[in-house]
Amino acid sequence: MIAIEYFIGLSAILFVIGAVGVLTKRNAIVVLMCIEMMLNAANINFVTFSAFSGNLNGMVFAIISIAIAAAEVAVGLAIVLNLYKTRDTIGLDEVNLLRW
Amino acid sequence: MYWSELAWLIPILPLVAFVVVGFLGNKVFKRAERGGYFAILMAAAACFLSLMVAFEILSGGYPGTFKQSMNWMSVPGFTFNMGIYIDSLTALMLIVVSFVATLVVIYSVGYMHEDGDKRRRYYAIISLFIGVMLGLVLASNYLEMFIFWELVGLCSYLLIGFYNTRPSAASAAKKAFLVTRIGDIMFMLGLFIFFVGFQGNLDFDYIFNNIGAFTGGNDLLTLGTFFIFGGAIGKSAQFPLHDWLPDAMEGPTTVSALIHAATMVKAGVYLVARSYPVMVHTPDTMLVVAIIGGFTAIFAATMALNNPNIKRVLAYSTISQLGYMFLALGTGGYLLSLDVANSGYTAGMFHLMNHAFFKALLFLSAGSVIHAVHTEDMRLMGGLGKKLKLTSWVMLFGCLSIAGFPLLSGFFSKDEILGVVFEAGAHNPVFYLLYAFGLVTAFLTAFYMFRLWFMTFTGEPRDHHAYEHAHESPRVMTGPLAILGFLALFSGLIGIGLGFENIIVPTEVGNIVFENVLPVDTLIETFTNGLTYLSIAAGLGGIYVAYLYYKKKSLNPDVFVATPARKKVYDILLARYGFTAGYDWIGLKVVYGVAKVVNWFDQKVIDGIVNGIATVTVKTGNFLRKGQTGFVQSYAALVVAGVSIIVILLFLIGGVI
Repeated sequence: MIAIEYFIGLSAILFVIGAVGVLTKRNAIVVLMCIEMMLNAANINFVTFSAFSGNLNGMVFAIISIAIAAAEVAVGLAIVLNLYKTRDTIGLDEVNLLRW
Repeated sequence: MYWSELAWLIPILPLVAFVVVGFLGNKVFKRAERGGYFAILMAAAACFLSLMVAFEILSGGYPGTFKQSMNWMSVPGFTFNMGIYIDSLTALMLIVVSFVATLVVIYSVGYMHEDGDKRRRYYAIISLFIGVMLGLVLASNYLEMFIFWELVGLCSYLLIGFYNTRPSAASAAKKAFLVTRIGDIMFMLGLFIFFVGFQGNLDFDYIFNNIGAFTGGNDLLTLGTFFIFGGAIGKSAQFPLHDWLPDAMEGPTTVSALIHAATMVKAGVYLVARSYPVMVHTPDTMLVVAIIGGFTAIFAATMALNNPNIKRVLAYSTISQLGYMFLALGTGGYLLSLDVANSGYTAGMFHLMNHAFFKALLFLSAGSVIHAVHTEDMRLMGGLGKKLKLTSWVMLFGCLSIAGFPLLSGFFSKDEILGVVFEAGAHNPVFYLLYAFGLVTAFLTAFYMFRLWFMTFTGEPRDHHAYEHAHESPRVMTGPLAILGFLALFSGLIGIGLGFENIIVPTEVGNIVFENVLPVDTLIETFTNGLTYLSIAAGLGGIYVAYLYYKKKSLNPDVFVATPARKKVYDILLARYGFTAGYDWIGLKVVYGVAKVVNWFDQKVIDGIVNGIATVTVKTGNFLRKGQTGFVQSYAALVVAGVSIIVILLFLIGGVI
């Protein structure tokens, strides 16, 4: 059996990659993808601890999380689409109307 | 079933007239004077009830004092009752107030008939005035009395300023309101002291029977009664708060009659008489009452000597006569505090009643004259006796009565007051001085009243235009005059005949026994006393001097202004000893100066603090909003940074590892 450290390590690596992507990428689609990656890192953690503790609650949570993520991506993509329609860009650094 | 059980209706009836005429007048009454008829109806109904209640109480039909109260408000340590308290004093006031007021309202229908739709307002407020005054008289505790007291002040303000388009009337109303307000504040201070001293119970019934329960000692009680008297000073226009009353002549003459005879100024006298059971325990306050009263009597009388305005002369005479009443009450209370039975209280209240009748008569007669010639300046009158026969006769009765002509009403009460004051001189020599004041005042009163009468009704007309147009007033005005004329002549004899002196005596003032006096004995005693002839001489002397100057003209009034020194005295009297100017100076320099300082403090300090807080908030906001960049990633970076810091802190401090 593979030790739990590997799973958690994978999850951590995925999370950090996602976080860095969210903070640095300018393309809204890429940022969305990075957010998905962070969510999945969390899902891996759920599943890992669930499997190792024998408690199925973590599995259920992972499935709910995936469903929510799907809905979130639908909304996110709709926003990005509208953004492209109105502003002709999906660059996050060009979208700064809501400021002081 | 006693009539007294209906006493609560007495103040309500005129208040109903106030609501109906004041708020529904336009809809209910097509013509304005019909509102007046409704006001008369309600006042007359109140008068009828008052007479019935008063008769029942005074004749002993209801045993003792009628008390009725209901709980209005109750919190721990304080219960506020609204109620009714009728003893002989209340009964007397009920008669005076409701009767005179009813006659005045009837008279108003004639006097005000040129005032158009404004009359609705007039009748509404005058009904309110009567209602709250009756409420004041009936009140069963100090707080209830104070509420009505303030309402009386409000009504006088509204009525003095009735001709609100005239600046002088507006400022006179303001002055009356503000000056009496000083007295009201003193009254309130007195109530605070009573409230603390009597454990939060201000019911007359409780206070009068439990003087011993006062905590704080006699000094505090003296201060309390002194402040209570302060309220009376303001309301009854005593020195030094007398100056509003002459200005109050700006209102319609009927209002002056009401204020001077039945309401407002009588409230102050009533307050002192009502507080007698408390005040007799504080001889110092009683001495102050007597001194203020005696001084005001002579002080106001001097100012009436040369005033050319017919109503102003009457106003000063009111102040002076109120001084007599306070002199009587103060002297009587002082003697009672020394356990000497005396008739000071009786004399004071007797004078109040007689004064109500003859002063109402004088004012309404003056109103009749003003109605005829449309001026208040006596220098433009003269010879009106031929045209205004009835008015001149009843006014003569009033003048004789106030001057103390033997056997007329003013004579008995004034003589009794002077007698009591002289008697008190044996206990405290200051009363001899006050007696001298009173005697001189009697002389001055007779002089200025007959100066007024001779200047108005005798001699040659000085203004022919006014004289030609003068005419006797309609019956609705002369009717009340005739009734009051009768009372001015005979209320003294009637009062003595009905045993006034045995009924109106101070109650609940300790163990002093008042002997019952037969009416005949009173008369005999009056006319066997040498002092009586002294005051008769003073009155007749005044009349004779006025006759010499203003009718026979064997003496020329111009001697009063012949030399610069005399002219100066004359001018000082006309300028009211500079009191008006003094008030203006205080108002303009002192109060305005303080107001400016307060204004500066308000604008700079208070507003500065408020505005400063606002400015700091705005500046901080302006600085912080730069953080709102609009880049979604910088927000995300902040979130990540925040979470990281929390995690790091958890590791360092929380000891998670």
